[in-house]
Amino acid sequence: MPATSSAPAAARATAGPRRFRPAPYLLLIPSVAVLLFALGYPLYWQILTSLQKFGLAQQFGKPPTFVGLDNYRQLFSDPQTWAVVGRSIAFCLTNAIITVILGVLIALLMNAVGKVIRLVLQISMLLAWAMPVIAVMTVWIWVFDWRRGLVNWLLTNLGLDFTNHNWLEQPLSFYFVATVIVVWMSVPFVAFSIYAGLTQISEEIMEAAALDGAGSVQRFFAIIVPMIRPVLMIVGLLQVIWDLRVFAQIRMLQDAGAPTASTDLLGTYIYRLGVGSSDFAMASALSIFVLLLTLVLSFFYVVHLMKEDS
Amino acid sequence: MSQATIRRRFRPGRALLSAVAILVAMGWAFPVYWMLNSALLPNSVLTSTTPRFWPAGGSLDNFTAVLNQGSFLPALGMSAAITVTTVAVCLLFAFLAALAISRFKFRGRTSFVLAVLFIQMLPAEGLFIAQYKMMSTLNLLNSVIGVSIIYIAAVVPFTIWMLRGFVAGVPADLEEAAMVDGCSRTQAFFRITFPLLAPGLVASGVYAFLQAWNEFTVALVILQKDEYRTLPLWLRGFVQASATRETDWGQVMAASTLVAVPVIIFFLIVQGRLTSGLVAGAVKG
Amino acid sequence: MKKLLTAIAAATAATVALTGCAAGSSSSPSSPASSPAGSASSAAAQNITLWLAGGDTPDALRTYLKDTYKAKTGGTLTIEEQSWGDLVTKLTAALPDANNTPDVVEVGNTQSPTFTNVGAFSDVSDLYAELGGDKLLQSFVEVGKVDGKNYTLPYYFGSRYMFYRKDIYKAAGVEVPKTLDEFNAAVKTIAAKNPKSIKDFSGFFIGGQDWRNGISWIFANGGDLAKSENGSWTSTLSDPNSIKGLTQLQEIQKDASRAPKTAKDQSPWLYINDSDVVKDDAKDPNKVTGKTSLAAATIMAPGWAHWSIGDLVKKDGKEVREWNTDKFGVFALPGNDGKPAPVFAGGSNIGISAASKNQEGSRELLKIIFSPEYQQMLGKNGLGPANSDYTSSLGDDEFAKALIESASNSKLTPAAPGWAGVEASGKLEEFFAKIADGGDVAALAAEYDAILTPMLNQK
Repeated sequence: MPATSSAPAAARATAGPRRFRPAPYLLLIPSVAVLLFALGYPLYWQILTSLQKFGLAQQFGKPPTFVGLDNYRQLFSDPQTWAVVGRSIAFCLTNAIITVILGVLIALLMNAVGKVIRLVLQISMLLAWAMPVIAVMTVWIWVFDWRRGLVNWLLTNLGLDFTNHNWLEQPLSFYFVATVIVVWMSVPFVAFSIYAGLTQISEEIMEAAALDGAGSVQRFFAIIVPMIRPVLMIVGLLQVIWDLRVFAQIRMLQDAGAPTASTDLLGTYIYRLGVGSSDFAMASALSIFVLLLTLVLSFFYVVHLMKEDS
Repeated sequence: MSQATIRRRFRPGRALLSAVAILVAMGWAFPVYWMLNSALLPNSVLTSTTPRFWPAGGSLDNFTAVLNQGSFLPALGMSAAITVTTVAVCLLFAFLAALAISRFKFRGRTSFVLAVLFIQMLPAEGLFIAQYKMMSTLNLLNSVIGVSIIYIAAVVPFTIWMLRGFVAGVPADLEEAAMVDGCSRTQAFFRITFPLLAPGLVASGVYAFLQAWNEFTVALVILQKDEYRTLPLWLRGFVQASATRETDWGQVMAASTLVAVPVIIFFLIVQGRLTSGLVAGAVKG
Repeated sequence: MKKLLTAIAAATAATVALTGCAAGSSSSPSSPASSPAGSASSAAAQNITLWLAGGDTPDALRTYLKDTYKAKTGGTLTIEEQSWGDLVTKLTAALPDANNTPDVVEVGNTQSPTFTNVGAFSDVSDLYAELGGDKLLQSFVEVGKVDGKNYTLPYYFGSRYMFYRKDIYKAAGVEVPKTLDEFNAAVKTIAAKNPKSIKDFSGFFIGGQDWRNGISWIFANGGDLAKSENGSWTSTLSDPNSIKGLTQLQEIQKDASRAPKTAKDQSPWLYINDSDVVKDDAKDPNKVTGKTSLAAATIMAPGWAHWSIGDLVKKDGKEVREWNTDKFGVFALPGNDGKPAPVFAGGSNIGISAASKNQEGSRELLKIIFSPEYQQMLGKNGLGPANSDYTSSLGDDEFAKALIESASNSKLTPAAPGWAGVEASGKLEEFFAKIADGGDVAALAAEYDAILTPMLNQK
């Protein structure tokens, strides 16, 4: 079983005379180099800028002044920041949970149906996954359009009066639309990954469990979940990371006519502070904060990972 | 593998499950269908308050109009160049790194794994000014290389994570057996391990492909000139250029379809390998 | 500091030019006026780049600029179109970058103060008289000025006026209003009578977040968004005249407009077009296969909106809107003093990037843009020419008349350094949406004054 393989392999590789082996470091050089090259300076710039007063004038050459942690102080004393942080965490967790649950269900479905139907399901997932985000947003915004949208038309024809109902007007219904779109876009990746995990569960185990009289729900929680736990954890973590910074979808929905201030999430708020208000210092400070926030949210995963690794 | 057996476990209500699967498939593909349907219809039908569910009375006019603008092919070329560069380089680099962390035990290994994870968490929205300055200094604005470097850096961490599982999943015993048979370590690797990794490379490649193909914010800032626009920029220009006129939704949808089609073709080509790729490797987190 | 240096350099350069001293080397090589005006052809043919915002400048005009620039200087002019939505992002990144900056750029008139205040543009004061001087649209000249020096100049203007449905006004028994009070009353009457019995019908369609049209009511009552005293800006939403205008707007929102509270000023023309039916069934040409519904009797939009308003007709196999004078009409929003109400003036400014290495060529391009030929070409294409001498080139159809009339008294947003930040923050949308929602006008105005004042002064 692959889940146990890395440690012995590594042990074997290091067997032999104890001396410095350059091989692993050489192998890491390209990745480390490209990461340092592309992100090193920007990250340094971001940290530095977050400690300065840096607006449009500084961008156009005026020397910035060092202000220490003032930007952070100002950021954290602004109730708007906490409102955005709160909304983002709620949005991120809701979306990540729904995405993972739907992804697991669809993966189970893929596993449970015949070959042809599975292929149909997989292709439809692939189609959704392959759509460029701008195309996705154009279609969905249109589906929810207050005047000519398909959703209103359907609900109205079902006897509910949704004529001219504006889905983007209230923050809650705005987030509902955003959730539908984000989940729709993210589920295929999760479903495929989990399905991959499911197919690695050995049939002996499942048979043994069935002989012991375990029902399908029991089998799911007692056997399947522990077996696919590594995949579940990584896709869950990635969803949290991605959904916390969701940007393009929210921005385009806002452009389509939503109250911006009450629908901002961290991604759009950083963008608004930076490009919009030309306050690059605050935008940088907030970016650094988001980085730390993500670390906190993924803390348990990281701890687990370190344990597993050592 | 064991799919067949598991499937039999869930036998009760198999027909029902199939029906549910078909419904889910239809629901998920619907927005894609809606895009295509709209691309075939004239604007007057699209702006009407009565939706039309199939392209009756449709034509390829929207596609012709979009293609006649002439800027599609250069943008396609640009996107293809950037995507191919990103995918190829990213896979190579990530593979080497994955090899290092799953086949060797060395000082700094844990820190590296953590750093990779950490980099995944950087929000990109605040970085663009610094990235612009850097690329400008290096004279890499408006170039495939400049954008590709940023994309590679954005995709490599996750790709390392993914490939790490695949590399670890190939038993080292196999290689050793080959070495006993007289192969060198390198030969053993390329003869035995590499073919087994192909599905993993495909799965990671798809991820890198999608990111590079659809990315938009970095491209907007780094690719300033019209002739270097990528497809997402082209598409966005399309949606926005019509701001002074009634937006031609049919054309926007046709343009969206044109951007999506290459990805769908790519997906269908690698589809078989993709699913088996995800099957083989993703379990090891 | 940099601004000061630029100013000194420019002043030195201006002196050099005035004294007729051609020794350009005595001032810094990048200073704008290092060679005397008129000897442009002697300046090496510079290849320059012009950024135009959006698709407003028609292709014929772009070709004219390229050809004329080539003929005059021998250099190549490259025109790149930037979408309005991404313009500020791209300007922020590229303008300070001497190696990649566009040489001449179009910016939205309200975006101009933000960039001029940080020294993004070259001083063109010495060209001002030659390019049209006081004939240039002064409100636009103002937003391009810092400390009395001209950095950006008007490129074109477009003004917002009213498009209305003659048939519905008639059915509701309402005349075209002559004063603002009449207008406010008329649109309420139409909404109340709703002569066509259409659900959610607006006498005047104005979105809740649509501050660009909404501020017309503040302006028309003598109010303003902000005022400047001793170099510092104060938001003036609580000014009694502003309050009066906002109260009127709130009543319109309540009684005359059924637009969503979150609608902005995008594509309002969709709502004034007729309840067209789509008949495209191949077998039965009379079968109605789709419907679009009329939703408003009046909208406020920039002049070019008339291309999107009218009856749906087929031309060369494509469906287009054709203006129908029996059904549609236009008028400038009237004020209460017999003059047109001051509305928000749309349009853009144009300036030379201070970081550009091609100052000479860029100045040549400005001369071409402000030449009589080009100004008239703008007018013929429905874009208000910057120079008032050529306003007549707009023609004398009803659109031109409404445009000229409404522009005659139009106003701009405050030339405060932080204005672009105010726009980008979304606070105005938020404020106007709360007004539209029926909130307490005075309390909201005070609340947002406190929020906006510091933003206005932020550089």
